[in-house]
Amino acid sequence: MSDAAIFLPFAPVPDRDSQPYWDALAKGRLSLQRCDDCGTLRWPARAVCNRCHSFASHWEDQTGSGQIASWVRTHQAFAPALQDAVPYTVVQVRLDAQEDLLLIGGWRSDREPRFGERVSLEIVDGPEGFALPCWRPSND
Amino acid sequence: MSSSSPLRDQVAIVGIGCTEFSKDSGVSTLTLGTRAILAALDDAGLPPEKLDGLATFRVGDSVLPAIVAQTLGLRDLRYYVDQFGGGSVSHSIVGQAALAIHAGIADYVVCYRALNARSEFRMGGTGRPLVDAVETQYQAPYGYFVPPQQFAMAARTHMEKYGTTEAQLGKVAVTQRAHAADNERAMMREPISLDDYLASRWVVEPFRLFDCCLETDGAVALVVTSAERARDLRKPPVLISGAAWGSGQTLYSNQQPDTTRSAAADVAPRLYAMAGVGPTDIDVAQIYDCFTYSVIVQLEDYGFCEKGEGGPFVESGATAAGGPIPVNTHGGFLSEGYVHGLNHVYECVSQLRGEAGVRQVEGAEVGLSTAQPGYIAGNASALVLRRDG
Repeated sequence: MSDAAIFLPFAPVPDRDSQPYWDALAKGRLSLQRCDDCGTLRWPARAVCNRCHSFASHWEDQTGSGQIASWVRTHQAFAPALQDAVPYTVVQVRLDAQEDLLLIGGWRSDREPRFGERVSLEIVDGPEGFALPCWRPSND
Repeated sequence: MSSSSPLRDQVAIVGIGCTEFSKDSGVSTLTLGTRAILAALDDAGLPPEKLDGLATFRVGDSVLPAIVAQTLGLRDLRYYVDQFGGGSVSHSIVGQAALAIHAGIADYVVCYRALNARSEFRMGGTGRPLVDAVETQYQAPYGYFVPPQQFAMAARTHMEKYGTTEAQLGKVAVTQRAHAADNERAMMREPISLDDYLASRWVVEPFRLFDCCLETDGAVALVVTSAERARDLRKPPVLISGAAWGSGQTLYSNQQPDTTRSAAADVAPRLYAMAGVGPTDIDVAQIYDCFTYSVIVQLEDYGFCEKGEGGPFVESGATAAGGPIPVNTHGGFLSEGYVHGLNHVYECVSQLRGEAGVRQVEGAEVGLSTAQPGYIAGNASALVLRRDG
């Protein structure tokens, strides 16, 4: 459980909007788009701002700190590749940077998460050159 | 009653049909679909050649309506819908059929869903390509890509935020299993206790096996026509008083900071306004129960109780047979089977016709039937149905 599950064959398949997001992670940075016109952060990656409809944005590195909004622990292997991985925990983290930024991520601790607890970002390298955002308790 | 909505009570469901619900139908989705369609037409007393509209929804797992039309020899199909989508669009295809009929596009439309969701294409993803959605890339690498995970994620937040308990989730499953005991169509009719629920294995914490619906092979079809034509047919018409659908925010759209509020909360006010009723007028409700939690959140979002009170509401017995608002009187997807939403409409029509046998809710005149409340795609849809006369 201390190792966040990164399961081939489910490597991320970037699209034309999200390629910079995955490129930044591969270099060890969590980077999100910020609208040049109204300043709203957005995730997942999109070409247009959902608030002001501007197409102008820049990528901005984030600390990734936040709190646990939810988590699930998967016991049933939903694909053959997951047979040896279960059970594993996936968390939903609310970033401090903006209230509606709820990211899915891996969990880097031997214990279960707690609702609302502070968590810190840890970027974990995957086997095929991509990296994934994961989180660990800030106070353990 | 004032007719603030031009569509209210103008269109009716006049025929219902279904196949056996099983774990292995042994036949194609085309066969399942045509069986249910012909059964529904027969129920309505309509010859198949009258059929001039077909509507279905799929997630790449079933037969196209054009193939069904060819199979049935329909040469004058004036209306068809082949909607991509899951259970969240199960009720919007019926609302759209009502629009088409009211506008004179077609006279008799069949809405159907046929799937071999256990023996061929499991929603669990086993052996099946991942859903083609832009969000998948952010989730699948963590082994997070199936509906029980998505709903469990929202359920956990509800439990933490409002104190919803495992026993309250369990009460949904236990109550519906008791209802299924009286339903000859149901796949699971053996009663379960709360202890049985708590002893069932984890699937995705906080969901156990009995929190999850039954992967099912089967089909359901509904015949829809104008209220005027309906009155000349075999069965008592069940009027479409309200039909509403809408698209809100998914769990992953970064515009929905509170995941304990579903898209059903956006649909409900429009639905009730169109029907001219409120939740206290509903005599029987079929609420989309892919998982136990989806019943709890929709009881709140369709206004049967306050936000956060869905767990205690179920625990009080309010949703059981004989209670103030019987919910999922056929056992629901948890116990009857999972035909992706349309078996809820089937049961709702049965209840409003007075054909539900020992399950009959006495004097049921107004029913609610709901679709998946939008946790994955952001879509939700629902119907308010009313006995004619």
